[in-house]
Amino acid sequence: MVTHENGGGHGHHQAPTGFIRKYVFSIDHKVIGIQYLCLALFSVFVGMALSALMRLHLGWPNAHWSIFKGGLMTPEQYLALMTMHGTIMVFMVLTTAPQSGFGNYFLPIQIGAADMAFPVLNMLSFWTTMVSLLVMIAAFFVAGGAPIGGWTSYPPLSALGEMAGPGQGAGETLWIIGLAIFCGASLMGALNFITTLIDLRAKGMTLGRLPLTCWTWFVTAILGLLAFGVLLAACILLLLDRVAGTSFFIPGGLVITDQVITWHKGGSPLLWQHLFWFFGHPEVYIAILPGMGVASHLLSTFSRKPVFGYRAMVGAICGIGFLGFCVWGHHMFISGMSPYSAFAFSILTMTIGVPSAIKTFNWLGTLWGGKITFNCAMLFALGFVSLFVSGGLSGLFLAQPALDLYLHDGYFVVAHFHLIMGVAAIFGMFAGLYFWFPKMFGRFLNEGIGKLHFWLTFIGVYAIFMPMHFLGLAGHPRRYFDTTAVEFLQKLQPVHVFISIAAFITIGAQLIFLFNFFYSLYAGKECKEENPWHATTLEWSIPTPPPFDNFAGVEPVVYHGPYEFSVPGAADDYIPQHLAPNLVKKA
Amino acid sequence: MNDHAHAEEAHAGASVGTNLAIWIGLVAITGLEVFLAYEELQPTLMLTILIGLSLVKAAMIMSYFMHLKFERFSLVLWLVPAMIFCIAMMMIFFFTEAYWGMGLRPH
Amino acid sequence: MHDVKTDAALDSAWSGGASPFAMGSKKLGMWLFIVSDTLTFSALLITYTYSRITNPDWPKPFPMNPAIIFSTTMTVVLLASSLTMVMAVMAAQRNDRKKTVLWMIATMAGGLTFMALHLREWFHLFEEGATITHNPWGTPLFGAVFFGVTGMHMTHVLIGVIYLGIVATGYGRGKFSAEDVEVNGLYWHFVDLVWMFVFPLVYLMSVKY
Repeated sequence: MVTHENGGGHGHHQAPTGFIRKYVFSIDHKVIGIQYLCLALFSVFVGMALSALMRLHLGWPNAHWSIFKGGLMTPEQYLALMTMHGTIMVFMVLTTAPQSGFGNYFLPIQIGAADMAFPVLNMLSFWTTMVSLLVMIAAFFVAGGAPIGGWTSYPPLSALGEMAGPGQGAGETLWIIGLAIFCGASLMGALNFITTLIDLRAKGMTLGRLPLTCWTWFVTAILGLLAFGVLLAACILLLLDRVAGTSFFIPGGLVITDQVITWHKGGSPLLWQHLFWFFGHPEVYIAILPGMGVASHLLSTFSRKPVFGYRAMVGAICGIGFLGFCVWGHHMFISGMSPYSAFAFSILTMTIGVPSAIKTFNWLGTLWGGKITFNCAMLFALGFVSLFVSGGLSGLFLAQPALDLYLHDGYFVVAHFHLIMGVAAIFGMFAGLYFWFPKMFGRFLNEGIGKLHFWLTFIGVYAIFMPMHFLGLAGHPRRYFDTTAVEFLQKLQPVHVFISIAAFITIGAQLIFLFNFFYSLYAGKECKEENPWHATTLEWSIPTPPPFDNFAGVEPVVYHGPYEFSVPGAADDYIPQHLAPNLVKKA
Repeated sequence: MNDHAHAEEAHAGASVGTNLAIWIGLVAITGLEVFLAYEELQPTLMLTILIGLSLVKAAMIMSYFMHLKFERFSLVLWLVPAMIFCIAMMMIFFFTEAYWGMGLRPH
Repeated sequence: MHDVKTDAALDSAWSGGASPFAMGSKKLGMWLFIVSDTLTFSALLITYTYSRITNPDWPKPFPMNPAIIFSTTMTVVLLASSLTMVMAVMAAQRNDRKKTVLWMIATMAGGLTFMALHLREWFHLFEEGATITHNPWGTPLFGAVFFGVTGMHMTHVLIGVIYLGIVATGYGRGKFSAEDVEVNGLYWHFVDLVWMFVFPLVYLMSVKY
């Protein structure tokens, strides 16, 4: 408990020596960050494998593959794949990697702290996340298999148990338990992040000097703190419906496969949708905000220009976070919602376009006239901006109830949220990884392989998701297993084939990345410098890789804003945040 | 920023007498609530009064027992508005939708 | 050491190097947990209200004796345990370890009494045939909400009693500081505060005249 007492304060810290304390049950935020990244890396490949199986089926619905029993996928298997793909990607990749992974590693360093405020709690939250992942994965191996209700798990079918489908038995129970555990882990992480950022900033690190990455991690943590509590309540209620026989979400008079449900009545499935989306919409921003922070950070660093409109950027981050709690109803336009509520949610949703546009134009303003370096990190940051715009614009379509009535639950929605929430956030993570890899591991990722990876991925994801918009406009519903039985869908089959091929190429490109990752980890170009990118923030002021207590017991002092690039009158084109004003070299 | 001032601030707080008075007030409000419960008021009116009184009790507990009155006011500004906003959003839309859903049921 | 005084940005509470709220990190962390847990309980209570709005046959089954007498007593007991917790924190700030532990034991006794009374009250309901899935009076959701919300609160009381036990033991042995007692107190008052909403909503709004 002694280290716990010290928390992230600067002072005498002893690095642990044993393997278990150093790498497994470590309380060092850097090790925990890497553990989170590894968990996310494992999960992203699991999630991608599941999507590959789905694309295999959607592209060639009647072909026989030896991996399935009898050569063909069953509808239940398809729905289970879809559910687990969504769940694992949203919770174990998009929520953990950008926030808990990179945030854990770099937030304390960027604000000049020796560790997080509660190191032991930090370790607990990682291992709780791990337990939740294992519980969810276990759903594959129980009788009936994984749940088939989608990542939103709408009742009443998710609340009724086995009679609602094979995966809705033990698999669904495990899924909900896993999710509830995940809520606990995220709450621990969120309050740790908030406390760290509020209390442990080094002298001179005012809120106006925080790197935008820290701002986004901070706002994301606040969203997590407020949103996951509500999801926890919803999970408890759904679990009670399933195991204790209550009817919170189950109405009376249901008929499921010719059986009248007489033992449940009085509940409301819509209540789950409200509770879930009250969490679910902030969750979207939990996934995307850290990506925005990384993109802003990198666009500035590699154009050698300050971020255009820093204050406006901070305002936009906070505005997006705030609006995130006002718009959950736009996921429910077709639920029979009151048109007055729908109107309010629609207006509020379109309001998000304002801070998003501020961010986009400020990114362009940052690039304007800059000395741009097109390395892999920068390419992925630019890719993030591109995907954010193309994914975000379709959001304006979906925000309008009249249009959404037609587009809802179709491939247009699938394209929209994959572009903006999935791929854009993942591009943010790739950008961060190419940028911070040398600081974390002391070697550079290979630029040549990296560029191949970038271009294949960038073109690949557009080739996958752009055609999906047209599938959606043509009326193709999402989550359909059999696309051949309906006449108008048969004609769309060539689009599915194209998307599947593009998906396989893109997945192949990720194997290139995986190779690059491990190759560079052991044989990449060594990085001995503290500051290879000539960046300004505090993580570049300490040795590579950082020592156990980050600043070797010395509390750094911050004198400058986070993005002082190309300052007139200075000799170098960057002024690190920690450089005392009298030490800045004059030109 | 000096640490000495912090130490003093942290130890400032209400006296035993004040806390006792707050406690008596809380018990008295509880008694009032129980009394009101038997007045057969209109449900909406009663709900409003009871929640109002509970909010007063919550404010008393938070200010004195939980010390919030003696912390910096900026802490209150960080913690309370976000919480109230989330609860208000849920109440506004959930209840609107609950009544709307009732209206859609076959009569 | 650099001369940081020259920097105008370093004068405000938010300029780094110290907590802007002039409080320990643990206290802030507990406050944040309380914010999050408030939302969990709010969601549960809003679920209750939502269910009550959508079920016109919501029963009002609680008679004066035993339900209201029991629950009022429980409220007073819980409030009293909050007062003893305040005394424990004050004693801890005076560094009076013995008194602190005694007041904390009193607080735990209050919590246990609350739980005992509450369980007795649950068993009254069981005897009348009310369970989490069924009740003789009206919509089955009544039992679900009642046992769900009070069960969640009781879980918090139980965790609180265990938490008090750990901190009291540790503080008595000198392993924990006065701040730990204060943080524990925050949690305990929060459990009390939640009951201030559960009691009127669950009991007083369902009184049998």
